[in-house]
Amino acid sequence: MREFFLPKKGYRVVFFIGKGGVGKTTSSAAAATALAERGYRTLVVSLDPAHNLGDVLMVKLKDKPKKIAENLYAAELDMEKLIKTYLKHLEESMKHTYRYLTVINLEKYFEVLSYSPGIEEYATLEAVREILVKGDEWDVIIFDTPPTGLTLRVLALPRISLIWADKLIEIRKAILERRAAIANIHGEQEFVVGDERVKLPTKEEEDAVMRELKKYREEVAFVEGVITNPRKTSVVAVMNPEMLPLYETERARESLRKFHVPFNMIVMNKVLELKGEIPELRAKLETQEMVLREVGRKFPGVEMVKIPVFAEEPRGLERLRELGGIIVEG
Amino acid sequence: MKDKEKDPLENVRAFLKGFFGAFKQNSTEYLEFELRELENVFALTLMGAFVGIPSPPTTLVIRVLPHMTRELYVMQRRAVDMDDVLGELAGMFEIT
Repeated sequence: MREFFLPKKGYRVVFFIGKGGVGKTTSSAAAATALAERGYRTLVVSLDPAHNLGDVLMVKLKDKPKKIAENLYAAELDMEKLIKTYLKHLEESMKHTYRYLTVINLEKYFEVLSYSPGIEEYATLEAVREILVKGDEWDVIIFDTPPTGLTLRVLALPRISLIWADKLIEIRKAILERRAAIANIHGEQEFVVGDERVKLPTKEEEDAVMRELKKYREEVAFVEGVITNPRKTSVVAVMNPEMLPLYETERARESLRKFHVPFNMIVMNKVLELKGEIPELRAKLETQEMVLREVGRKFPGVEMVKIPVFAEEPRGLERLRELGGIIVEG
Repeated sequence: MKDKEKDPLENVRAFLKGFFGAFKQNSTEYLEFELRELENVFALTLMGAFVGIPSPPTTLVIRVLPHMTRELYVMQRRAVDMDDVLGELAGMFEIT
């Protein structure tokens, strides 16, 4: 068994990343099936808005883990639903809070928010966090991710969010210090909105904004702690023996390095092996040769497993188990 | 009789209270200005999407916003007073 698939400290998280259409879903479903077969309680979750994990496993999936086989559970997260419920709940709580404020057209702001750049990444991160919080229910959690670009942004988010949270905490501290200084001289300060009088908080523990900021920081730091821990998280890149997936995998490796996320393995999917000579495929085979050589040269220390092109797509548990065996075994 | 004797002292007390009150007011004037600016900056940072500046993570923004009545109010006031920032500064530094 490859080390980085095994749970070491509590549970193991494996992200399958890669360009669209290279076979991430098949590879992740296969690895999950193989791990479950070896006795690890495994959850495979699709974060890709264009789900096809259910198609590969040949079952209909929902956002709650569904038992597929002994030790094997699967789920497909509905991002759109997640974003909508999230914003709806928030809109209501805000409308209540801001009933005196007519300054900002909140409905307009929410329209902006639901289409705001990045909302999908945030929702994905939130979903990942919720699964990780309950991580101890599983031995291995496998994430089938959306195409590389989005996934890398999601994996980069915890670090970026920490920077933002720290900056905002700093400004908030300055605000509270000044409020406290003023309250020392003039006594408790009040803020009047409409006919409601609110005491202006001066201490960190009584300030709701500071509490939220600190809670958020803690939550993000938890995700950051998990995804940067090589004993907990592994990233497996899936690619085809072509130039574009090679470039993308290289870029992914750089980004992951920057954010200290461990990168462990390459699944080289759809490798063409011919017995006879077919002139029409010569160029393709030459590129394949070159990409395989380049991967060996450019990714020293990263394991690579070759998966041949199958006559038919590997679907269903039996085929997946076989393919998964190749991926997880050393 | 006693009450009448007390009167001058009370006047002195009232005078002193007013006198020091004015000092107190002056002493926090800059702090209050600074506080307003910080509250404004804090709200602006969170609502950056409105004015095209990069915003903090949306999750964080929407979690903090419900508690920001005061800051949003200050931000709105600052936006209204924006055309007379110099006037406000001149008033504070007593430049007439």
